[in-house]
Amino acid sequence: MNIIWAIAKKEFIQVSRDRRTLMMLFLMPIMQLMIYGYGINTDVKHLPTYVYDQDRSYLSRRLVDSFTQSEYFTVKVQATSLPQVYSALDRGYAQSALVIPPDFTANLLKKKTAQVQLLIDGTDSTPATVALNSSQAIVNAFMQNEGFIPIQVSPIDFRPRLWYNPDLKSTYFMLPGLIGLVLQFLIPMITATAIVREKERGNIEQLLVTPIKPYELILGKIIPYIVIGIIISCSIIAIMHFLFVVPIQGSIITLFFLTLIFLIVCLGIGLWASTVADNQSQASQIVMFMAMPSILLSGFIFPLEAMPSWVRDISYLIPMTYFLKIVRGIILKGLGFFDLIDQVWPLLLMAVLVIVLSIRRFSKRMA
Amino acid sequence: MLNIAISADRLTKRFGKFTAVDGISFEIPYGSIFGFLGANGAGKSTTIRMLCGILEPTSGTGKVGGFDVQTQPEQIKSVIGYVSQRFSLYSDLNVIENLTFYGQVYGLEGSALSDRIKEVLTLTGLDRFRQKLSGELSGGWKQKLAIANAILHKPKIIFLDEPTAGLDPLSRRSIWELLYQLAESGTSLFVTTHYMEEAERCNTIAFISDGKILKIGHPAELRQQLNNQILEVACQPLMKASRLFLTLEGVRGVTVYGTTLNLNVTDEKAVEERVKAVAAKEGVTISSIKPIAASLEDVFSDLDSENQGNPESESKKQ
Repeated sequence: MNIIWAIAKKEFIQVSRDRRTLMMLFLMPIMQLMIYGYGINTDVKHLPTYVYDQDRSYLSRRLVDSFTQSEYFTVKVQATSLPQVYSALDRGYAQSALVIPPDFTANLLKKKTAQVQLLIDGTDSTPATVALNSSQAIVNAFMQNEGFIPIQVSPIDFRPRLWYNPDLKSTYFMLPGLIGLVLQFLIPMITATAIVREKERGNIEQLLVTPIKPYELILGKIIPYIVIGIIISCSIIAIMHFLFVVPIQGSIITLFFLTLIFLIVCLGIGLWASTVADNQSQASQIVMFMAMPSILLSGFIFPLEAMPSWVRDISYLIPMTYFLKIVRGIILKGLGFFDLIDQVWPLLLMAVLVIVLSIRRFSKRMA
Repeated sequence: MLNIAISADRLTKRFGKFTAVDGISFEIPYGSIFGFLGANGAGKSTTIRMLCGILEPTSGTGKVGGFDVQTQPEQIKSVIGYVSQRFSLYSDLNVIENLTFYGQVYGLEGSALSDRIKEVLTLTGLDRFRQKLSGELSGGWKQKLAIANAILHKPKIIFLDEPTAGLDPLSRRSIWELLYQLAESGTSLFVTTHYMEEAERCNTIAFISDGKILKIGHPAELRQQLNNQILEVACQPLMKASRLFLTLEGVRGVTVYGTTLNLNVTDEKAVEERVKAVAAKEGVTISSIKPIAASLEDVFSDLDSENQGNPESESKKQ
């Protein structure tokens, strides 16, 4: 026990003197938080819109107003001709265009079908879909507000409601996942380089002739990085909650313990990488290589539901897939431990597997 | 037998088909310095690794501090000290931190640890560098730190793998003074080296080549064996003479020393005559020719020629 503690203490001193690692530990989470919190925003709002209102009546202006008030559309230009509208869409000045024909009011008052055309730039499917859906809602609302009952009356009273993230804020979705991303990237990186460093600098030669046992060396080296991982996770959660006001619905304690399991998986990956690599740069390459699929296939950015089934099968081999469901489940949905059991046991299994395998590999390489 | 610190009995290590160490045997008593000499790749490091308990021998036995290298490697590790050729302490920790860490690894703690650290710092003269990062120490001081580190737990046996490689003469001398001090206090030192004058300082030396010990004994004893067999010839031009003399009957090897040649011969008188004769015939001027006492280097090159030699040395193939 004393030996493990001595190693851990030594490791802390070394990390505290390693400016490059410190910078990475500090800057990477901050940078990611800023990028995903402020920079990347998949919420579609204020779509630049051209309006070609040929009717120029009270009602047509009301219709345009309801579009602008929705905040999904922002009127950039009142167009004066159709060619102007088309060229704006072609050149990307506008992403949507609202064309109101001259007989709009007349038709409405005659209870005939009034036509309104909304042109949407479908190049990027995400904003296009959002624009399309919201335009439907806007038009329906307009009809009700103005006293024109919608033409189709369905026997089913269908009222969809969004749960957990009613405003569809992308920060709510991204920031909890960021805990996983940062841990998945940083922890294996620093663990692997710290262990390989002993090999690269020849320190291991001296350690081998001391009575240190392989498991003591591993535990001693891992403890500091567990502590660092916990500090990083807590900081991200704190910044997420207080700066970006993402509400935490579930139990912080459950979140803490399940994060710890994921942390152990990450440490195991780093440990394994260290047994494969001969030097620090190889180790970081391996870790980068392993982190890529975790970012792309875990559902961090792209939804799993949209992937072909064979890709989804691969994603079930990625620890982050489970961890993302856990953090998002706890933070956004307020799920408890037993609601998440389907995610917890694969993660636990992976933790045990990767740790046992890499410790065995490590001990063999040491002897 | 109680006095034996390290012993090897037909110790052998094979890596696949390659035999790195081939049945070597020796005994080293406490309080003595054992010099292990040999070219790179001769099997020195493999021998050390087996004796330190980190490499299992293929056959044969070895005992270090009374423990068997096959069955008790862990016990061996706690009674030996080890100084590697390459500095392998933590260069980003300072002197005190390195010593504290390794002291704790060997089970020292509290005031026992800090007292012992003070002792080794005084012994090695590292006292003034306490807070200095060990990576910033000069080569000689780094090696002294490595020795200080190796003796923290007061081992009675220390292995040093080329402790003075690449150091300046002054540092080398002060390190050897330190080693003498340790030997005097009863510690057994197992040292590998390439320097002949360092080998001269050992109580026992062994030459190893291709995994076999070619010769073992006290340095003076080994030199004695070559008595009346070394002829020093001062002559011009040197390299031409060297090639000429090597072909003579009774000359086993020629070593060039600055402006003189050392001939390793079987019969001084007869060879001297032949050397003079061939020199006169081929236009080599001899300014002096005399028998001298053998140095360890002569012993080494003699062994080399016996052992078929390596292609770079001017030895006669037998």
